[in-house]
Amino acid sequence: MGLVAQLCLNTLQIGAVYVLFSLGLTLVFGVMKVINFAHGQFFTLAALLIAAAMPAFTVQLALPVWLDYLVSFVLAMIAVSLLAAALYFIGFERYLRDLVGSFILSLGLLLLLEGIYLWLFTGAPRVVAKVLPGQISLAGAAMETQRLVICGLSLAFTMALYQFVQHSRLGKALRAVAEDREAAMLQGIRYRRTSFYGFMIGSGLAALSGGLLAPLTPITPALGSDYLTKAFIIIIIGGLGSIPGAILGGFLIAMIESVAGYYFDLSYATIAMFALVIAFLLVRREGMLGHAQR
Amino acid sequence: MPSARVDTAELPHTATHRARVGPLLTTLGAASVLAFALLTPDEYDQHLVMWVGLNAVLAVSLRFVLLVGETNIATGAFYGIGAYVAALCTVNFGVPFPLALLAGGIVATLVSAAFGLITLRAKGPYFMLISFAFTEVMRLIYTRIDYIGGNSGIMGVFPPQSLDPLMPALTVLLCGGLVLALYLCERSDLGRVFRAIENNDAIVETIGINVMSVKLLCLILASFAVGVAGALHAHIYNVISPGDFSYLVPVFALAYVKIGGDSHVLGAVLGAGLLTLVAQALEGAGALEQILFGGAIVAAMLVLPDGLWGAGKRLLGLLWR
Amino acid sequence: MALSPLLVAQDLSRRFGGLLAVNDLSFEVREGEVLGLIGPNGAGKSTTFNVISGFYRPTSGRLSFRGEDITGMSASAISRRGLVRTFQHGSLLRDMSVHDNILIGALRAVRDRRGRQRHVRDTAELLGLGGLLEATAGSLPHGHQRMLSIAIALAARPTLLCLDEPLTGLNSTEIAVALGTIQRVRQEFATTIMLVDHNMRAVMRICDRIVVLNHGQKLAEGTPAYIRNDPEVIRAYLGDDA
Repeated sequence: MGLVAQLCLNTLQIGAVYVLFSLGLTLVFGVMKVINFAHGQFFTLAALLIAAAMPAFTVQLALPVWLDYLVSFVLAMIAVSLLAAALYFIGFERYLRDLVGSFILSLGLLLLLEGIYLWLFTGAPRVVAKVLPGQISLAGAAMETQRLVICGLSLAFTMALYQFVQHSRLGKALRAVAEDREAAMLQGIRYRRTSFYGFMIGSGLAALSGGLLAPLTPITPALGSDYLTKAFIIIIIGGLGSIPGAILGGFLIAMIESVAGYYFDLSYATIAMFALVIAFLLVRREGMLGHAQR
Repeated sequence: MPSARVDTAELPHTATHRARVGPLLTTLGAASVLAFALLTPDEYDQHLVMWVGLNAVLAVSLRFVLLVGETNIATGAFYGIGAYVAALCTVNFGVPFPLALLAGGIVATLVSAAFGLITLRAKGPYFMLISFAFTEVMRLIYTRIDYIGGNSGIMGVFPPQSLDPLMPALTVLLCGGLVLALYLCERSDLGRVFRAIENNDAIVETIGINVMSVKLLCLILASFAVGVAGALHAHIYNVISPGDFSYLVPVFALAYVKIGGDSHVLGAVLGAGLLTLVAQALEGAGALEQILFGGAIVAAMLVLPDGLWGAGKRLLGLLWR
Repeated sequence: MALSPLLVAQDLSRRFGGLLAVNDLSFEVREGEVLGLIGPNGAGKSTTFNVISGFYRPTSGRLSFRGEDITGMSASAISRRGLVRTFQHGSLLRDMSVHDNILIGALRAVRDRRGRQRHVRDTAELLGLGGLLEATAGSLPHGHQRMLSIAIALAARPTLLCLDEPLTGLNSTEIAVALGTIQRVRQEFATTIMLVDHNMRAVMRICDRIVVLNHGQKLAEGTPAYIRNDPEVIRAYLGDDA
């Protein structure tokens, strides 16, 4: 029983991060029809900034660790948002709905940003101090308290985002544009403004997941790139542009990874996921919950 | 929305001019590169020429599939398959060099056919992402198979000794030949069908052409070219490992196409040449290398949306008047 | 007038989830005629068109063309047998020249290169595009674009030409020209023609027979004169006075 509980907890925990990260990616695609290859860079920057800022705060302000984390988190989110806005206006706005062009632009950005991170933060892995001490036991499975709390927070954010997309005005606008841009515009939805907000929210989600991950794993400038391949698989399975699809897909992938990773090597898990994608494509071209391609 | 626009409208006098000047200049250019490859004593330069040749095939092959409107990042997987098959042929089975090259091309073609049959029913971003995942997964599979060296890969892949000094020239000839072959396909009726599919595949279906079959053919032809190039790669560098065939290879090739200019095959070649030289110049600069190379790509995308070729055409258009 | 059926639809149905867009529809298109398919909005005309041309598979029923069962065949397979259609929206290759557009249509129909060039030129002339061969399709005015989409289909030498709203967006002069062209196509190539359109007057003028759809079912079938006076048809278009 302990094993099953452990695997479930692992799935939830890994999944929560994947889901938030992939939600951002799928949201940006849905609204802008763009695949941002540099999506992971927002993720990485948030984590790096937190890892760099926290020790400084601990020394300067002598605050408890969890407050350091919170303050650093907020500052990191602000910094990443500024970066996202800048990138949107300088680059992505020009390549709206241009799949290949925006992809190459984002490739350039990936290299550029990763290089800048390497230069600013060096390649040495940074470890964030434990935000919450102790361990918790659930149904025979042990987990660090902070992991559980962070997992809970991630799930809470995911639910909040889902509610936002379903019920808020902007959320509905995002969905409308994703489904049929012209119809949405005919209804008075401002496309360019909605795109911008969609990009900011999507990038914010990447940063959020990066920030939430920061206490849990050593952070290097290459962190985001690893998550990207999985995110691609998740959004294909879930359906490009589909929010519930990204949530389901994220947990599905996390489950495969935690089960396969336990019994086999992690790279087999990725291969298995890919086989799953192929199977999906054979059966349903648009992913589980995606919109049909025009 | 076209992703590989090909020019059909031309000013009359530039059209006739180009009809003569274009092929002439290209032949001259190719001949001089070949001469350089044959005559330059500098090993560094020789390797540079070969590297450009391989990248040119990668770029042109990727652009070839862009003609039907698909972004085929699986190019990287087929490149790797060509390399590994050829390496095994030479090292493990002592197969003659030309046959090893051919084997690389053929196996890559077969795998691409299977891949295409399953995945070409997905379009646009779906196909792009799944081809991306395929390249990544192939790389992971290489690391898992001990017979092909796992993470360490295969060493000692040498062309026949007699050919060794001729490798640069051979590379230029072979790569040039592959590029030319793909270009000729593009200019044929088949190429017109590709462009038609990219414009409006429903129309092509409605006049009796099975679009899926044509897309598959396009993929197969492109994959043969990179399979052979991969086989050549193995014999040029003598060592191959899974890391050589990551998704960065095809993604960079895509950058060569976009930055060089996707409207003409020479744009892809130009992009490959230029960016390879830039990468070479920046080698060993650590983080700065990534910053400058990435920065170059970003700058090119922002300043030259139709690539160098497009910019060059506009410039020539201005001068000609 | 030739009476042998070219296309036979038997009890065709097409369902989309909960919606039965086409419901047990049976009709035939006879060799040499011009058949019109009309009906109020939402009657199932587009769906019927898509089913007979292979772009949708029928949920049930049978379809045969020239005596061969084509039920469930793909669009390109049906086209290869001589049924070619146009599309209501975007029936062109926008970035290619008029010449190349028509050439694509001719690719399977004419194998010999020189003959094909002549065929392209002739088809263009017939549809009033003779002087526009080098123009980019997307840059043509709307009327010419409609003619081009017919030219592409015609270049494929169809036995049955299916025109999907060929007159939409044309002014009265252009409509007259289009109708004249359709007549010429029918005469010079002995092509059977089926068309869907909302322009009632034009349909009445040019069609030999008309099939009227409503709610996915056949409401009436007959000559224009018969249809014009059929009370069911009138009611369908004007609505029931409850």
